[in-house]
Amino acid sequence: MMATEITTVFRWIFVVLAAYILLISIVSLLSTRATPEIWGYYMVEGGGNFPITHWENVIGRSKTADIMIPLATVSNNHALLIRKGEEQWVFRDLESSAGSEINGYKLDPEKRYLVETGDEIGMGGVISTVTPPSLEEARNNKYMRRLDKEPVAPWKILVAITAFQLMTIVQLVLSMGSDITAGALLSIALLSALMWAYVMFFKAMGSRGFEMEMIAFFMSTINLAITASSDPGIVVKEFIAIVLGVALMIGMCIILRDLDKTKKIKPVLIGLGILAMLINLIFGEAKFGATNWIRIGGVSLQPSELVKLAFILLGAGTLEELYEKRNTYVYAAFAFFCLACLAMMSDFGTALIFFATYLVVSFLRSGDLSRMTLTGVAALAMGLMVLKFKPYIASRFSAWGHVWEPEYMNDLGFQQTRTMSFGAGGGLLGLGAGNGSLKYVGASNTDLVFGFVMEEWGFVIAVLLVLCIATLSVFAVMSIVAGRSTFYTLLACSAATMMLVQTMLNVFGAIDLFPLTGVTFPFVSTGGTSLLTSWAMLAYFKAADMRRDASLAVSKED
Amino acid sequence: MRKQERRAWICLVLAMVLIVGTGIFGYRFVKDGGKWASFYGNTQIFTDGYINRGTVTDRNGEELLTATPEGMAYSPDWATRVATVHAVGDPGGNIPAGAISVFRSQLIGYDLVNGTYDTTANGKKVALTIDANANREAYYALDGRTGCVGVYNWKTGEIVCMVSTPAFDPQDYIYDDEEDEDDGYAEEDEEEESIYFNNFLDGTMAPGSTFKLVTSAAVIDTMPDRDQFEFDCDGINQFGSSEDTQLVCVSPHGTVDFRGALAKSCNGAFGALTRDVGAATMREYTEKAGLTESVDVNGVLTAEGSFDFPDDNDVRLSWAGIGQAGDLVNPCAMMVYMGAIANGGTPVQPSLFKSATFIKEISGGKSLGRYIEKDTADELKSMMKNNVVETYGEENFYGMDMYAKSGTAENGSDTPDAWFVGFTGDENAPYAFVVWVKNGGYGSEVAAPIAARVINAIGPDYSDEE
Repeated sequence: MMATEITTVFRWIFVVLAAYILLISIVSLLSTRATPEIWGYYMVEGGGNFPITHWENVIGRSKTADIMIPLATVSNNHALLIRKGEEQWVFRDLESSAGSEINGYKLDPEKRYLVETGDEIGMGGVISTVTPPSLEEARNNKYMRRLDKEPVAPWKILVAITAFQLMTIVQLVLSMGSDITAGALLSIALLSALMWAYVMFFKAMGSRGFEMEMIAFFMSTINLAITASSDPGIVVKEFIAIVLGVALMIGMCIILRDLDKTKKIKPVLIGLGILAMLINLIFGEAKFGATNWIRIGGVSLQPSELVKLAFILLGAGTLEELYEKRNTYVYAAFAFFCLACLAMMSDFGTALIFFATYLVVSFLRSGDLSRMTLTGVAALAMGLMVLKFKPYIASRFSAWGHVWEPEYMNDLGFQQTRTMSFGAGGGLLGLGAGNGSLKYVGASNTDLVFGFVMEEWGFVIAVLLVLCIATLSVFAVMSIVAGRSTFYTLLACSAATMMLVQTMLNVFGAIDLFPLTGVTFPFVSTGGTSLLTSWAMLAYFKAADMRRDASLAVSKED
Repeated sequence: MRKQERRAWICLVLAMVLIVGTGIFGYRFVKDGGKWASFYGNTQIFTDGYINRGTVTDRNGEELLTATPEGMAYSPDWATRVATVHAVGDPGGNIPAGAISVFRSQLIGYDLVNGTYDTTANGKKVALTIDANANREAYYALDGRTGCVGVYNWKTGEIVCMVSTPAFDPQDYIYDDEEDEDDGYAEEDEEEESIYFNNFLDGTMAPGSTFKLVTSAAVIDTMPDRDQFEFDCDGINQFGSSEDTQLVCVSPHGTVDFRGALAKSCNGAFGALTRDVGAATMREYTEKAGLTESVDVNGVLTAEGSFDFPDDNDVRLSWAGIGQAGDLVNPCAMMVYMGAIANGGTPVQPSLFKSATFIKEISGGKSLGRYIEKDTADELKSMMKNNVVETYGEENFYGMDMYAKSGTAENGSDTPDAWFVGFTGDENAPYAFVVWVKNGGYGSEVAAPIAARVINAIGPDYSDEE
């Protein structure tokens, strides 16, 4: 009886804590915007002095040019100006009609030329020069950036998450009694320790923005709680996946600081990606219809999850790379290869995520909306073909939107009706961790995890988790204004697209707004590979965080 | 780079789609969450398809049904189980108007904030308005015959007694061996005789002379000279030349006036009155009395009555005016009509759910609007009192302020159906009632004592004054 009373009170505290943790983080992410850094000034003779706020700039007549010269003799996208280091710039003509010259020397459009302070760049009869910011200006800029609203300090949120985690441990003991394992409870405590260690270490290193990590640690807590409720024996594995994921994220952040290094590992990633897909195809094991699992020495892996990381990185490119056709072809070929492999594994949910990401990234790179539409329509046609040959997928579509009808509710709509029924049973506050019954339905802690959260944690927390994913994405898009290179912009947008589409498929599939495709909810769904990948993907968001000293993925101002 | 920045709107669109989709689901969650949560697949609240929490009690707190994860338990008393089964419902869900079905969400205790979370771990209590003791009396009084008894408080709308026979013991239908589960479920051959069938809510039958109360309302409103009305009843009451143009009475009533005609239930006189009033007016007053429409009892709709008043056939019209010739009335609707007369023309909607709110207790039930004019209701009331004084005998309703009309409805068999409808006017016992006994015989002999016995068992209701 005592247990019921504690749970009754805890349910309210859980929701209040979650709302506090997530809303503070979300508001901080969305309200702190970085003032762009200034890397130099572009002086047009008789035209003015433009601050250069990116590492990569298009000079031209077009309104979307980063440095706009409104003269008829200048082409729309006339040339690229790319920062190479302190007071060093690379200039490249983009096959402009009038051509370009440096110090009177006519440039070859195929080649890159070094520009230093004082060099005169000639374009369509206009002379311009690049100058570094004066000491005073540099100080001013730094001062301006200091005036930016600071990211929220992590300490209160840390305490709130820790309280949430400790209460979760108590709640699980109350609800599950002897069914809960010591390992499961210890894992939650260790997650708390990991979180404190992470923040304290990087705080000491001078980092200031931790909202994304706080969100990820919170979502990971829910992950462990759900896994503890449904399958206590594997919670330790989940925790190890988080540790590996955090380590991978840190490693990736450090690599991402250096654009040249990052570009160099691209071919390696292509090789690894292809290898992983092929291994999966050859040694794959089937789970819930899709053959997307392999087993290495007692550990189950989902290689296609890891390939997501490579897929995002390969879709990114510097502004200069975007003007190279070869780069685009390599990405398209890799995308096609991944899609073909996923189709052969019958993992159509993941295929859809890859494809949507490919479409969005292609659009970001080329700006060609009509080509994107065409590709989409072609894919739709192919999809319909697939449906023709894979009747079990077509049957899922037949239940879509009709799961409550008697012929589907206990058959093809079984998982969705249970998700909604048990989920609604949780109300706004949930029944308490460990008290749910959806866990007895197949794939409840992966594909149906949204319903699982609704039942045990309540509708409010479930919706907050969705908002978290949306916030990470919106933040990524907002940050690119101050971005240094399109590489980071594309990384963040690509990762955002992937997480958004994945969350949509997971949530909408479980609640019958979309056919059930069986993909995971980032961070929340049980599954080591998925959890590890979610953490690693956070590096791409961190790389877009241009707030002063906020991110360990961004090198300090040079 | 500005180009790429601008194109990033597409990611914002995706984020919007995610949020809008979640919003749509949120709307559905608020709107349909209760329905989803009480789906039988929810094993939190259903065990093998049986609801596993909640208690149904009668108006005095007597437990009629307790559902637990271990199973359902009805009252330990056989008579209580049988007499309340149509109000409580059966485990198989064959009684759609039973509390198990109608008040399922109240039993589960779903609400938006808590979902099905149960702070007491015992489920919620649903108090019905019925009085188990009155139901038992009614069941005993029906004495194995097919029939129904319905009584409701015409001020508050609370249904105090609802019994329909044949009934059954629901305890016998819990966790039957699965193989012979069909036993008892599919046995009944005729729908009317089904044990699940609630004659009070779902039945329609010939009203017989009780319908003269509707004809009387039409007469009062449309015949200003009704006080001069006189009719010589010779027992045969030939009104035309052919053989079928007669309205036979049990015995010759002699000369009767309007009040006397109702008190003596003279078919000849009411046939003549019906013809005077005319078919169109009869149709109008039957509709106004609510007898052609369903009554909404906590969302369960009763069967609709049907009547036929031909413009060109005096014989059928005359018979229809005295509640024969294919007239079919629903007992619950008839009870509401009694409530209308008792309450000055505006009946209160009947309900089986005991409302806990104080405001509802003192303000009375929900009005169904005006059925009859106040003056008309008062005159009918006076005539119904006259019936009791002149014909049924006040001594048969000792201690009650009784207003009533009996009915003896031909049903094609040797023995007619017995009816007794009316209400009590006591301040603390304002009950409108309907009693119907299939093949019971004479209404005043068979049905009237049942009404008296049940209302006696209910006793006064002092809940207003608490």
